[in-house]
Amino acid sequence: MKVPTVAVAVSLAMLLSAPVQAQAPPDLSGVWAPYRGGRGDDPSLAPPPASPIVLKAPYAERYEERRAAEREAVERGEPLATDAVFCMPYGMPRMMSVALYPMEIIQRPQQITIVTEAFSEVRRVYMHEPQLPVGEVPPGYYGHSVGRWDSETLVIDTIAIKESVPGYQGMPHSDRMRITERIRLITPDVLHDEITIEDPVTLERPVTYTHAYRRMPGYKMVEFVCENNREYVDENGVVRMRLREN
Amino acid sequence: MAFAPRRPRAIVRAMAWRPRARVTGWCLALLLAGAGGAHPLLAHHSFAMFDTTSQVTLSGTVTSFEWTNPHAYIELDVAAERGAVTHWSVELGSTSILMQGGWKFNDLKRGDKVTLVLNPLRNGDPGGLLVYVTLPDGRELGNGPGRGRGTR
Repeated sequence: MKVPTVAVAVSLAMLLSAPVQAQAPPDLSGVWAPYRGGRGDDPSLAPPPASPIVLKAPYAERYEERRAAEREAVERGEPLATDAVFCMPYGMPRMMSVALYPMEIIQRPQQITIVTEAFSEVRRVYMHEPQLPVGEVPPGYYGHSVGRWDSETLVIDTIAIKESVPGYQGMPHSDRMRITERIRLITPDVLHDEITIEDPVTLERPVTYTHAYRRMPGYKMVEFVCENNREYVDENGVVRMRLREN
Repeated sequence: MAFAPRRPRAIVRAMAWRPRARVTGWCLALLLAGAGGAHPLLAHHSFAMFDTTSQVTLSGTVTSFEWTNPHAYIELDVAAERGAVTHWSVELGSTSILMQGGWKFNDLKRGDKVTLVLNPLRNGDPGGLLVYVTLPDGRELGNGPGRGRGTR
């Protein structure tokens, strides 16, 4: 049987065009809670170990002194004050995993918004926009984030985090810190965020660590307004709890 | 039974709790490691002002139940044997963490009679961190997932 030339051409064109169609990125929308690979969790889905924090001198010395003082204070039962006692939010990158608190991802093609439950923090990731030069963005708690899809991985670049915002594990950072996140689904219901921190001023080499999350279907985010903070810092810099008399 | 820190009953209760406390402590240590130092239940301060190796049992009357952040609180009047009343402030986790542990905002109200177990403040002031509470209807609620009896 003779096949018409036009039909062959059309079939061939359809066949060739199929693989080059842009694949839709995965939908990360929804509520996610930290997944730590503990009891009842699959350890193979837990985050891999973090790389060490290697600071430049004299940052390393001051950091170790501070950590030692914190440990000693905790052993005495008199924890040293931190910004957290005053109910200040965490900011980036610490907001990406706070205790057992969930976070919500709202995904649109042009913007991905991440809302965390602890302290109701919000960050906005502008998709497919060039990053702004460091020094042209006012430093803040969340900085300026741009994102792109690398196949099925969401890559987020964040700059302009204020020096006063405590860093990962309390490490010092400069206003030239750059945070790169690679966020991807490990399974349909487990998400990993691999975070790499670079800082030409304070770090000898980049630090990389990963947070894991599990999907929380149907969970409705709870409000968090710091209205009843009873912790205070006494004249010795020690955190105390304010008591009521009735 | 009134306010009885470090009295025999409190000690007996604390001893009865030891195996669970060990498991909980281990779980907390794991969570702490994963959280990069952040406490799994308390979003904004260290645990260290409370003596988590000691447990005190109190029975009293709720003067207020504050469903707030960064922490919820049970305010409790505890009558001593000779009629004196000591007022205690009992700290709980945040509302989110409590809800994850089975609490509702209206599980307690002023006037409720409750018995609760807490980790006392190290400085001896009448305050502490809730371990678990027995509600008037008999239910037991802890202080968020994995902390205290009655948690899930």
